[in-house]
This record gives sequence, C-alpha cells and structure tokens, in this order.
Amino acid sequence: MSAFFADAATIFRREWLRYRRDRAYWVGQLVFPVVVVAFIGLGLNRVVTLPTGASYLAHLATGVLALLVGSGGIGGGVTLIQDRASGFLRALLVAPVSRASLVVGKIAARVAASLALVGVLAALFAPFAGIGLAGPRALGAVVLAVAGITACFVALGIVLGSRLRSLESFRLLSALVTVPLYFLSGIFYPVSTLPAPSRWLAAANPLTYGVDLLRYGLIGVSEIPPARSALLLALLTLAATAVAIRAFDAPERRA
Amino acid sequence: MIAGGPATLAQALGRRRRALRCAGVTQSFDAGDPTAPPPAIEAEALVKRFGDVTALDGLSLRVAQGICFGLLGPNGAGKTTAISILTTLLRPTAGRARLLGRDVVAERAAVRADLGLVFQEPSLDPELTAREQLDLHARLYHLSDRARRVGDALALSGLEADSNRPVRGFSGGMKRRLEIVRGLLHAPRVLFLDEPTLGLDVAARATIWDALRALRRDGRCTLFLTTHSMEEAEALCDRVAIVDRGRVVVEGTPAALEAALGGDVVWLALERPEGAAARLAALEGVARVAEEAGRDASPTRLRVVVAEGPRRLPALLDAVRAHGVLEVELQRPTLEHVFLHHTGHVFEDAAR
Repeated sequence: MSAFFADAATIFRREWLRYRRDRAYWVGQLVFPVVVVAFIGLGLNRVVTLPTGASYLAHLATGVLALLVGSGGIGGGVTLIQDRASGFLRALLVAPVSRASLVVGKIAARVAASLALVGVLAALFAPFAGIGLAGPRALGAVVLAVAGITACFVALGIVLGSRLRSLESFRLLSALVTVPLYFLSGIFYPVSTLPAPSRWLAAANPLTYGVDLLRYGLIGVSEIPPARSALLLALLTLAATAVAIRAFDAPERRA
Repeated sequence: MIAGGPATLAQALGRRRRALRCAGVTQSFDAGDPTAPPPAIEAEALVKRFGDVTALDGLSLRVAQGICFGLLGPNGAGKTTAISILTTLLRPTAGRARLLGRDVVAERAAVRADLGLVFQEPSLDPELTAREQLDLHARLYHLSDRARRVGDALALSGLEADSNRPVRGFSGGMKRRLEIVRGLLHAPRVLFLDEPTLGLDVAARATIWDALRALRRDGRCTLFLTTHSMEEAEALCDRVAIVDRGRVVVEGTPAALEAALGGDVVWLALERPEGAAARLAALEGVARVAEEAGRDASPTRLRVVVAEGPRRLPALLDAVRAHGVLEVELQRPTLEHVFLHHTGHVFEDAAR
C-alpha cells in the first residue's frame, strides 16, 4: 500500500513538472474565467435576478470556476493521449508500478492544479462577486467539489482517451459530450429555472452536484442540500476513479 | 566516475556494471533440474493474433542467462510483438513465457522489476529534462540513492552538459543514449532492446554497439535484442534466432548457423562451361555444384559450395583453367544466406 502511494506521488510529481512549464495552460485557464465573468457576468448582473438569492455575477463566477475544473479534468485525459503519442506511456506501463497508482497520481495532480487555479480566481473575484470562504466546512465543500468534478472528468477523458488515438477526434468528441454536461449543470443558470425535462437531465448530471457544492462553499448559496451533494460527490470521486483505472487498464494495445 | 569522466560510454558501462550487485534475488527453479538457474527467457509456442492478423504463430525460445541474444527477422516478422509479450506489455493469445523462471502474465509485477526495456521508438517525456527523466525512472523503480545513480547514468550517457534541457531538443542519438542508460538505471537482470540502432547514423550506432559489447563482456545482464540488421546480429550476438512470419525458423550461434550451410560459395563465370561442373564436383571439399543461367547477356555461372573457400579457391581455379575463367567471386556465408536457406526467400522480400 505504501508503494501504491509512493508511485502515485511519483506520477503526481511528474505531472507537476510538466504543468510548471506549460505557461499556455496557466494563462488560458486564468484568462478564460476572467473574460466570461467580465463580459457576460457584469453585463447580465443588472438584468437577471435569480430565485436562489445570489447575484448573477456571483452565480456565474462560481459556475465558471466549476467549468474550469471540469475542463482541467478533461485535460487530464489529453495528457494520456500525449503520453501515448510521445511513447512515454509505454515506459510507464513496463515499470513495476500499478495502473491504479498512475491514474490516482494523474487525478491528484489535476485536483491540485485546479485547486490552485480556483484559489487564485476566487480571490480575484471576491471583491465583485461576494466570494469568501465561510470556514472549514466551506473549504471542505470546495475541495470535495473540485476533487469530485476532476475525478469524473479525468475518468471521462481516460475513457475517451484510451479509445481514440488522435488529439483531433478526442477534442471533437469530448466537446460533444461535455458541452451538454456544462449547460445542464447550473453553471450558467440555476437548475430550478430549467424546464422540466432539462431539469431531470440536470438531476442525473454529476456535474450539477459539483457545481452546487462549489457554489455553496464559495458564496454559501445552494439549490441542493449541501450534505447530499457532498455525500454524492464523495461516492462519485471513488466511482469515477475506479472507472478511470478500469478504462486505463483494460484495452490491450499493440505496444 | 563523474570527476574523471569516462573515456567512452562503453568503458563507463563496463566499469559501472562491474560495480553493481544484484541483491535480493529470488530464483525459481526448473522442475527438471533443481540446481540449474532458470533461463533468462523461455517462450513456449507463443501465439498472438490481432484480429485477422497473426503476428506470432507458435514462437518458442530459450535464452540462457548472461548472453547476448538476437532475434533477427525482417520488418513484420513479429519481433516487436515478441518483445512486448516478454516484457508484459501484451498478453499472448496462446502459449506461455517466463522471465528468469517467472510467468510474464501471472507474475508480471515481479517480472517488470527484473527487466529493462529500450524501445524502438522514443519513449521519453519530451517536456522533462534528461535529469528529471532519470530521476522519475529511479522513483518508479523504488531505487535508493537516486542522486548518485542518476549522476552516474548521466555521466555514462555523455549527456551531462545537456542534463537540464528538455529532451524535446535532443538528437536521435542523444535520445537513444538516454533511453539506454535509463534502461540500465535499475540494474535489470534482463535488458530488452528493440532495434537499438534503427535510424541512427554510423557514429551513433558505433557508440551504442560499443556500449552493448561492454555490457555483454560484463555478463551480469542478459541482453535480448531484436534487429533486422544482419550486420548488427553478427557484431553483437552470442546466439541468434531467425524469425519469419511469427515463428523461429532456426536458432544457434551465428558461426554455427553459417557453417551449417556447408561452407563458402564460389561463383564462377566460364567461357566454356561444358563439363566444368563435373570436374569441380570431384574436388576435395566441394559439397555441391549448381549451374545458374546468366541474366540478360551475362554468361552462365557455376555456384560451388565448398568448405574453407579461401584455401581451396586456387585449386578450384586450376581445375577450370581450360574452360576460360571470366569472373570469380568468393562469398563467405552470412546470416543473410542462413535466412535465405531456411525460409526459401530473400530477406527483403519477407518484409510485409
């Protein structure tokens, strides 16, 4: 078991060495939410009143952070495709390291990167959007939300990534899957304002609970009882990690 | 080693390998002979199918510990598939394989710790530096004294000056050198090399060959390499197995395989070939004489298989002087001929 965590830590380390050099990643991830909040949030803030009681700006700012976490998770799947393309994946697969520790290390690295980004952006939005951590409960909610969303999206990325060989088809297909997930999750407007069929779909969307829990942690507003979201996300994190490990381990490739 | 700086990669490898100790090795034994160490590699009737394609069609091998073994065959013969199965990257469709007595499917975790693999295509993380790459590898193999091992490996790769540059900017030869020292970093008991010099220029190839020769002399690590270069197999390998269409057609030392062909071949083009064949066949040491019609306008040639060709060539020429010798060619047998002999087709044609 200690070898498992040591191996996951090694992978975590390696992912961070890569992130650190990837300036485009940090710039892109930081600029996109700022642009969305500045141009859409500030504009619609005066026009839209939400039944949840939050200002639209606060709603969108927190939603966009969840979006960022989700796309960061998908990025974890992209790194798998990159590792295969560079051949590095084979060097990992022939090492005496469990597949599970590789996947856990990858997910953990993305969770850490996303937490760092959420922290920086939340601080940036705080003066405008009324964001602030109310206490350890709120912090726990943020961490759990980020971990849950990341695990689900990394799993999705690995499921797609282990079947698709080219980055182009991956991008296309992942957009096809994730865009509906984003729109049906309460990122842009509260789930309770959706028409009935969409509301049902949103209830089945794991991201909905992640978005709601993240929002609860950052601005104290939620549509779903936070305890329920938290429990669900904890289970989802484990389930998604298991799915990712299976997807990573299962397909036999011509090495 | 770092202070002095190894004169060559090969010398450094030799020295370093002598300094290494294989600790904590558990050996499983053959049921038949409880005292004998297990062979480094044992493959029994390996079959691997990818859909309709049969990559391996009953490949069997046995490689003793401490030698350099070459798997020789044209592209598409199944060499990479074989290496992938032996290194646990692929599971066989049928058959079984053991590395140092351990099953590559059932005991793959233990097998992975014992082997090193240098891939045909690059398998480095392009964004990491050479040093980070080796350090990562040392961590993946749970090595102690990482800094020393990484430093030694960098020294013997000759890449110290470039150790803090991302591998992305390395040349093919630099990458291959880094891959080889990475493959050796954890002192594997069996090192697999898939086409170790493919795509390298002559100088880079010579460096790699020297390094592999040093490892072979040291004898601590079993080397298993695949190659489609006859020259490489002859230069490096104690034993070779020739594979064609997914199975081993013949196996032995290069010298024995060549000798088994019956000797050297002397080609003679004669002005008046009538009767010369019978005269040659009667000479001592001549195994076979065959006539081969010349292509286009070139004359008919006699193909004479003769033991100790260089020594008997004068006698051969004396015997046919009256027939008017136009051309003489002496061919020593090479693995190329061995391949032709056993498969019935020439090497290049076999590539699918």
